[in-house]
Amino acid sequence: MKIIDKLAKIDRRIIYLILAVVVILPMIFPSVLRVRVMPPVEKLFHAVDNVPKEKALIIDFDYAPQTAPELEPMGFALLRHAFRKRTKVLILSLYVQMLGLAQNALTEVIEEFNSVAETNTDSIIYGRDYVFLGWVPPPIIPILGMGESITNVYQVDYYGNRTDTLPLMKEIKNYNNVGLLVSLSGSDPPEWWIAYAQNRFGLQVGAGVTAVSASKYFSYYQTGQFSGLMVGMKGAAEYEEMIEKELAIKSRRIASEALPPLTYAHLVIMVFIVIGNISFLMQRRKK
Amino acid sequence: MKRTFPLFLVLIFGIFALLPYIIPHPIIQNTDELLRNNLLKILSAFALVLGLGSLLKVHTDKIKRKRENWEYSWVLIMTFIITSIIGLFGGVSGTGILPTSIGSFPFDIQTIYFNVVVPLGSTMFAMLAFFMASAAYRAFRARSTEATLLLIAGFIVMLGVLPLGNRISPHLPSFAQWIMDVPNVAGQRGILFGVALGAVATSLKIILGIERSWLGGGGGK
Amino acid sequence: MSLSVDPWIWIGALFSLAIFSFLYKDNPFYRVAEHVFVGAANGYAVTFYWHNVLVPALFNPLFRQGQLLFIIPFVIGILYFTRFIPKIGWLLRIPIGIYIGYYVGASIPAYIQAFIIKQVQGTILTPQNFASWSAGSWGILWSVILFAGVLCTLSYFYFSKEHKGVLGATSRIGTIFIMIGFGAAFGYTVMARVSLLIGRLQFLLGDWLGIIR
Repeated sequence: MKIIDKLAKIDRRIIYLILAVVVILPMIFPSVLRVRVMPPVEKLFHAVDNVPKEKALIIDFDYAPQTAPELEPMGFALLRHAFRKRTKVLILSLYVQMLGLAQNALTEVIEEFNSVAETNTDSIIYGRDYVFLGWVPPPIIPILGMGESITNVYQVDYYGNRTDTLPLMKEIKNYNNVGLLVSLSGSDPPEWWIAYAQNRFGLQVGAGVTAVSASKYFSYYQTGQFSGLMVGMKGAAEYEEMIEKELAIKSRRIASEALPPLTYAHLVIMVFIVIGNISFLMQRRKK
Repeated sequence: MKRTFPLFLVLIFGIFALLPYIIPHPIIQNTDELLRNNLLKILSAFALVLGLGSLLKVHTDKIKRKRENWEYSWVLIMTFIITSIIGLFGGVSGTGILPTSIGSFPFDIQTIYFNVVVPLGSTMFAMLAFFMASAAYRAFRARSTEATLLLIAGFIVMLGVLPLGNRISPHLPSFAQWIMDVPNVAGQRGILFGVALGAVATSLKIILGIERSWLGGGGGK
Repeated sequence: MSLSVDPWIWIGALFSLAIFSFLYKDNPFYRVAEHVFVGAANGYAVTFYWHNVLVPALFNPLFRQGQLLFIIPFVIGILYFTRFIPKIGWLLRIPIGIYIGYYVGASIPAYIQAFIIKQVQGTILTPQNFASWSAGSWGILWSVILFAGVLCTLSYFYFSKEHKGVLGATSRIGTIFIMIGFGAAFGYTVMARVSLLIGRLQFLLGDWLGIIR
């Protein structure tokens, strides 16, 4: 009984220490865990894969530093997928804080591709293969405005170039020339794309969301409003698995590396909950 | 006038926003585009003044009245001023009139963002893992049938989403996915209907001037 | 182990440790880091609002290209500053009224279509919905459960009548669905929070200390 009483009053800093150790050790001594791909991610993969050659894929990078660990691996995987398939890509952000992270993802992935490219055709060229549109506030402006004209909304791109002079933007005028939009976000933007862009212009929308907001987004996945859905780090790991399996893209799998510490952390938290409930039941019985 | 005119503006612009959904005529569509690109975009930039102004006012007041921890307000204000100067005069890419490197040490706005804002923001949210573990240990009690149900569903999902779940049983990940697809959607959709209907009702009340809390206090008629 | 030689990585790592120090107890390092974050994040926002919005969308057309019509948004935008002048503070309601009016007007048809009509279409018992599960005849059962679950959840939120009799039974079933939904949300939240911690540790152990790849 004394042990139960002690467990009930354990200092929270000991709990923090146990969690930290359980997460750090598998990172220092890594192991490989293969992930099983579930239907929502598979559907999104095929939706991206099937974007017609003459149409573009828009990726909305809406993750802040706070949600980057879950969503950044999704962004990397999507870009690798799109560039491998030579799909035209437009990148944008609905908020200012996300711009730097979007640029970081682009720079890294393009460097990966261009470092092994042998000809100009193989390379990923700005303005021809992709355009970083940047950011225009408030969010409702690009969401509604791109239905009429993308270059009217984004008159200059992130780097200050006039968008109507870029070769890619001469082919991609508005949502009619967009095959799919994937929104990577930790809050409401995927809902806004459905409510405004899909509702009014029939845009196909997919989403990569944080695990915290995942439970509400399954409602939109079930109705088909989302063409596919990635959830959290696990969803990112599944997408990484798919691009390696289907397209033989071998690159660092940041999300998959996180699965072992994630597993142990889940187990520890479950043990904490069980111990907490046992001590609660024992104390209730004592009374 | 002080309340009537803004309420009138809400009505007019609310109707302006609704019309393009109903009338596909180019005049309406083009006016809508003009409104968004040339008015709303600029207004949203000026709206930053409100947030920034409040923030700076709170902290300058704290310094003036020497309230608790007033010294940290200096840190905030100085960091804001320095970062703004570097950004405004150094430019977005560090190519402005202000030099943004000393030798090979850069201090342009993007570098500051990646090495100050990103680590600080990420770490603040990373701490939530610890708080959640502590809260789960201390507060998550199966006191009732509903709480037990919540706990069981949580455990199934926590195990099912990871590769470990597949090792325990190949049916566990599918079962966890089924929980997300069926009972979770049922519960969330009921809540979503309520939220959506409430949002539509509130939007109508705002446009029609019934809901006036956004006007704030005072200001007379 | 190979420590980073990049001073900025060290700055990022030290700031991260300063925030983590709050786990032990509140301290001046944490407070300084917290205030630096707010100041720097706002400075970053000001930079982009100026260079990417105000200059190309307002100041260039108005002052460089002489498009005088842009005086209208300029003047309306300036009204935001009346927040700090109590005598004419009511003028702030003008830009806010325009912004709110447009936003709520645009949201009405959007919300009705996307969050009500489409969701109802996904709930009702139709052959398309049965087939959407890709589960053969099990799809009919899942659709029935979903349909019943949504109705019961809605009955739980109906507070105009006491939850007795049939309404009491359906609202109790609704509670079960809500609890399962929240349990699933809790499970995912655990994954989310731990993922954020892992992300930070990947930086500290990898980029800073060089212990992991």
